[in-house]
Amino acid sequence: MIKLFSPKKRLPVPGIVWGIIFLIIFFSIIRPAKFPTLYNALLILRHSSVLIVASIGMTMLILVSQIDLSVGSVMSLAGVITAVCAESGMPLGVSLALSILVGMLIGVVNGTMVAVFRFDYWISTFATMGIAAGLALVVANGQTITVRSDFFNWLGNGKVLGIDFLILLVAVLVAGMLFVLGKTRFGYNIYSIGGSAETARLSGIDVTKNRMFVFIGSGFFSAVAGLMLAAMGSSASPIAGADYSFDAIAAVIIGGTSFDGGKGGLAGTVLGAVLLRILTLGLNLMGIPPTWQKAIIGVVIVAIIVNDVLGERRRKTNESRRVYSNV
Amino acid sequence: MPLDKTFELVELKNISKQFPGVLALNNVSMDFRKGEVHVLLGENGAGKSTLVKIIAGVYTKDKGEMLLEGSPVDFKRIRDAQEAGIAIIHQELNLLPERSIAQNIFVGKEPEKKGLPGIIDKKKMISDSAELLQRLGVDLNPNTQVKKLSIAQQQMVEVVKALSRNIKLLIMDEPTSSLTKKEIDKLFEIIRKLKSDGIGIIYISHRMDEIQRIGDRVSIMRDGEYIDTVDAKTMNMDEVITKMVGRKIEQLYSRRYNAPGKLVLQTNGLCGLRFRNVSISVHAGEVVALSGLIGAGRSELAKALFGYDPIEAGSYTLFGEKVTRATPKESTRRGMAFLPEDRKAEGLILQMPIKNNIVSASLKKVFPNFLLNNAKETRIGEHYRREMRIATPNVDKIVQELSGGNQQKVVISKWLASESKFIIFDEPTRGIDIGAKAEIYQLIDRLAGEGSAILMISSELGEVVGISDRVYVMREGEVVAELKRDKLSQEELVSWAVRGAAKND
Repeated sequence: MIKLFSPKKRLPVPGIVWGIIFLIIFFSIIRPAKFPTLYNALLILRHSSVLIVASIGMTMLILVSQIDLSVGSVMSLAGVITAVCAESGMPLGVSLALSILVGMLIGVVNGTMVAVFRFDYWISTFATMGIAAGLALVVANGQTITVRSDFFNWLGNGKVLGIDFLILLVAVLVAGMLFVLGKTRFGYNIYSIGGSAETARLSGIDVTKNRMFVFIGSGFFSAVAGLMLAAMGSSASPIAGADYSFDAIAAVIIGGTSFDGGKGGLAGTVLGAVLLRILTLGLNLMGIPPTWQKAIIGVVIVAIIVNDVLGERRRKTNESRRVYSNV
Repeated sequence: MPLDKTFELVELKNISKQFPGVLALNNVSMDFRKGEVHVLLGENGAGKSTLVKIIAGVYTKDKGEMLLEGSPVDFKRIRDAQEAGIAIIHQELNLLPERSIAQNIFVGKEPEKKGLPGIIDKKKMISDSAELLQRLGVDLNPNTQVKKLSIAQQQMVEVVKALSRNIKLLIMDEPTSSLTKKEIDKLFEIIRKLKSDGIGIIYISHRMDEIQRIGDRVSIMRDGEYIDTVDAKTMNMDEVITKMVGRKIEQLYSRRYNAPGKLVLQTNGLCGLRFRNVSISVHAGEVVALSGLIGAGRSELAKALFGYDPIEAGSYTLFGEKVTRATPKESTRRGMAFLPEDRKAEGLILQMPIKNNIVSASLKKVFPNFLLNNAKETRIGEHYRREMRIATPNVDKIVQELSGGNQQKVVISKWLASESKFIIFDEPTRGIDIGAKAEIYQLIDRLAGEGSAILMISSELGEVVGISDRVYVMREGEVVAELKRDKLSQEELVSWAVRGAAKND
């Protein structure tokens, strides 16, 4: 008879939480006067918020074994479009909507190339990365544009009931997407496609359509993240988002979402983004230059990938052993 | 026999399906009834899987008509077939290892909350799964992750998944290939229950004992064509086997048998990922075939010999050298060549010219002192172009542009150029047209004539019988028979490959 596999009741603490605790203790010991302050905690949250939003789309993409390299450029483009439009007298709401629309449009272009025509996602999103980055420079005429709108400034720096509006916005977006990924058909489909696109197809799921939606989602969240970044400084630079594609991929991977697809989720990404920002701030306080910080983050990613790949190999070998022993 | 139309479930009329280079189904007409287990029998490549995939909407048919309960249907998508009540359990497991049993059972058809379209009712999904599992007598918790299950348990989840909607027809493509005896009993119990509910079942299997236990009618297919339908309870097994394999052996095979020379390969109790305790030998000038069903462990054995896969226990001797750990590099040095089944992915560099491919296993010859000897490369390439009659104007042509037969000739040239004396062919003529096949057989014969030892894995019984000196039959990871040339027949091979189970259990 087939035996019941009884799952353990104990709730495991994911490794990343230990990582965050470790970093906080580490930096508090190294820089006891500067690091553990309320001001820094808020700073980390504010800076995490932009990265978290930029990583939402990337999480969904990596769940379905894809990547979007255009995230950072779309962020820059969205920021400068709003800045230029608002400064030329267009109502701020319309400017914001236009930026988000352009972001989604780039998502449509990515989705059309990757999901519909099955082009390689590296090449496709690499191309749109270039297009968006170029457009951002053209729109802004190569300059940083200051936005003289009080409301825009409030979006980036205002508070509601004593809490930063940005942090509230992120909380709402994350809660909404956690619901979408965990409770809706679309979310289920993403996990199914990620687990095995072939199984999903044979189960009657429209893989192309769902992948297309994920790319559009990535464009949407990139644009929103770009606008948040611009609002924080009340200005838009055509290269503001430059590092964000790298950071978003890093946050997702550190957060435990695997390139094998169908494994991981948004909660991990949020923690991954927070961990990255703690690392950045801590390294700043230690006086380590940003160039080195990137290398250090790279090393963290390599360590995670090595762990991931080795674990997967072990699992595969064990599986074929199991098949064999069953014969 | 006359048929009451009320029992008619699916009727196929003149179904044809063309794949690039292969006519997979040729004018097939068949009918399937409610409450019957209809077994499809045929060799690998006979068209069974293609046929059931057309019924289930995985492929679309090129020609012909399909009737479901008397009315014509034309499935464009898998979902169309699913909604019409057709479920299929594929040969390979189609599960999401990271997801729970419940999520797998309901993948793509999760129940939604009342009045909230698009939002999944997880509670209902889990309770429905628990009910389904219980009804089929499978003692599993629907919240368990599928990757934590054994393969047999996963297979049961596949069955439950197929039954989770209201179905009229259930197709099972070799469902028992990874099940133990007890689990097979369980599955058959479920099948009987389904039958009594009036559900039709199409059952693909190679195991003769199972067919007589569970089948009602048996239809035989061969080379994409429908051959005959017989009653499962009264069928004559030998007749059925003849119908399965019964094609004339044409002038396809040319083989001048020589007295075998020195011992080249001897394995001693070799064990690996999907085979165990294999002891075989191959002599110079001999063509030895490994026969058996797909999944019997033949390719895995060959890959372990060459060093693609690890050897877990045992050893082998090649040209007098004892080997316990093989790597492709070492094997090549010892004079072993491996022509993989998937020649495009594993045997060739498709985007490179013919001549580069030909020298790729003997680079020392064209790089005498770190610099490429271009003239020599071309000379070697030209030599084999003429020798092997590769149909190409020159050897600078990209391999991708060649036909399957010519690509195979390039792979063979590559190993001839490396002066290998022990050559493993894995399915040497798969996907090759009949004319090129004959040429490949002549080549194999010539190689043997020149003193090479050849080990050939083949699922084409015709070529196994046609060109082998000796045959080892493998089943479920073990060598179950060794047959000499005078004892060889397709019927004998099939019965060892499939029937051993009935004899030994």
